[in-house]
Amino acid sequence: MRANSPGARGTGLLLVLALLSNACASLGPPPGRGMSLHYTPREATGRAVGPGRVERDARSSTLAAHVAFLGAVNEVSTSSRHVSSELSRLKASVPGIANAGNDIFVRYVDYGERQQRWIDAELAAATRLAIAASEVEDPDTQLALLRLAGPRLEAAMMGSLLLAVWFDFLNLTDTALSRHFQGVETLFMNMDRVQKMLEPAMTALSSLEPQQVEAAAQDVPALLGHLTGEFSVLREAIRKGAEVLQKALALKEAMEALTLLSALSVSLPRLLPRAGPATLGMSFSVGANGMMMGTRMVVSAEWVEMMRQLVRAGVLSVPAVSAAVRIQAGQVMMAEAHGELPRGVREALGDSPEVRGMHVTGKAGAGMAEPPRHHVMPKEFREWFEKRGFTGEMDIDEFCVRLERAHHEAIHGGGDWRLGRIWPGEWNRMIMEALYEAEITAGRMLMRNEVLDIVAYRMERYGIPMEFTRWRGQ
Amino acid sequence: MSGGQAWRGNWRVRLYERVRERGYDSLTAFANARPTASLVALAEELGPDDVVGVQVLNGLLSEAEQRKQVTRFVRDALVREMSECLPDGWPAVLDDANRFKVAKAFGSWIADTPETHKERARQVRTSLLATPPPPGWRPLGPDDELLLSLLPDEEV
Repeated sequence: MRANSPGARGTGLLLVLALLSNACASLGPPPGRGMSLHYTPREATGRAVGPGRVERDARSSTLAAHVAFLGAVNEVSTSSRHVSSELSRLKASVPGIANAGNDIFVRYVDYGERQQRWIDAELAAATRLAIAASEVEDPDTQLALLRLAGPRLEAAMMGSLLLAVWFDFLNLTDTALSRHFQGVETLFMNMDRVQKMLEPAMTALSSLEPQQVEAAAQDVPALLGHLTGEFSVLREAIRKGAEVLQKALALKEAMEALTLLSALSVSLPRLLPRAGPATLGMSFSVGANGMMMGTRMVVSAEWVEMMRQLVRAGVLSVPAVSAAVRIQAGQVMMAEAHGELPRGVREALGDSPEVRGMHVTGKAGAGMAEPPRHHVMPKEFREWFEKRGFTGEMDIDEFCVRLERAHHEAIHGGGDWRLGRIWPGEWNRMIMEALYEAEITAGRMLMRNEVLDIVAYRMERYGIPMEFTRWRGQ
Repeated sequence: MSGGQAWRGNWRVRLYERVRERGYDSLTAFANARPTASLVALAEELGPDDVVGVQVLNGLLSEAEQRKQVTRFVRDALVREMSECLPDGWPAVLDDANRFKVAKAFGSWIADTPETHKERARQVRTSLLATPPPPGWRPLGPDDELLLSLLPDEEV
């Protein structure tokens, strides 16, 4: 099957359509379905990446990763759309946010909408990369493209969790404003404080720098722990204010009507009666229906399976997925907020030494400088590649590799290709020649997926692992 | 594909160790015994984790230069390139998809051909495109009749 044949493209499109029309397992409270999904945490699927494996296995595991990727994108999109419509509702909420205190609260809705925009932009870029992956034939290249999209999905996933929290604060504030439970100024200052707490994480997530995204993702549970505290204090303050104002009944009603969109709904202590976090001392377990925390379902089996595929394929990182699980489990209040999930749970999510190794690759070791990065598609020919579709999330800057010491020595050694070593100049000359000559042979301009096909083919011949990293302008 | 180990240490020494372990006294002899194996397949056999195609190609070129058989080496390289890109032989119809497969094979082959032979390699491409071989044509080695006629030996 040719990657650029109408049939292949049709299949890719069908896949996307099938996933878009099929609502996937939700990250939130457990859906009532999914009983039929066979969940096998320690299923041996062979190596995620590596030499010498059977082509067929590579194809089917790549397909599984592809399906999981689109499923995850779809899920984040769904929750993002929901928050979006809720934000619009709040913006028009009279007598709450829309007109309280001279519209000063509208800026907080606007802030939410700005976050919404970058999350949606990342989801769109991630979808385009997934479609580009479905258009290439080589499973290694497909995986490489999905991995390229990984930080975007990770950022959108964590960003939308935080955005939902932001919405919950806005919503509580709106309730308080419309019923005059608390002073405008106090509520305003409170939102300001919460925004300042969210800001660094949102900035890091939207930076798209993989290391920053990952570090921020790991901090999200702890951040959520602090926000849970804030939320609970705010709610308590509103409750006290209401008592004074003899509005306890109205408050009860209002609080009961308040639906939390975010994971705060699991991490918050119950309002009345008050109690400590319900999750303390309970343990995780992984069962046929999903992941449980005590007797409560945290995430569905479909979600676990989706994440496991993406972790094994190196698209999402174990720490980020663990963070998402901890948030759903309401484990954010626990002292070991930076700690890890139990081993069985991590394994169910696809964690393994090999997978960890994938994310360590490229780092020469503790304290050592990162190996230099090189464009596999030479930047001197940027325009040539742009004409063939390498723009936006497929910009040639996205396709850099780290050349390790042995490769690198050749540069300083004069780069004699007769020594059989790769050096950037040699690679650049060779790859451009292979591409030019292919175009001359084809008698037409190569398409983007064809360029990528040839680049991947040459990378394999030169033993350059297909692990792309972004250019950082050295 | 190698995880980058292929360029650690002295790969030439490693390559020849592997060739000798398999009972051959030269890389050329090892390759001759597998005339249609792709470079990837040869590299895989010599070291799935630490030998890559370009090293095999490089070794073969060095030996060919010593033996003054560079033209034969160039033909040999095309056979292996075709094995990988056109496993079913020359396509019956040069539609868009097949044209790309041919383009990929020739582009890669020309890029790997030493300067001394590049122009001749380009001419071989032109001839094959102008007068296509029979559908399914798959040279079985560097001494394939059609290939020899297009790129005859010149060395003495």
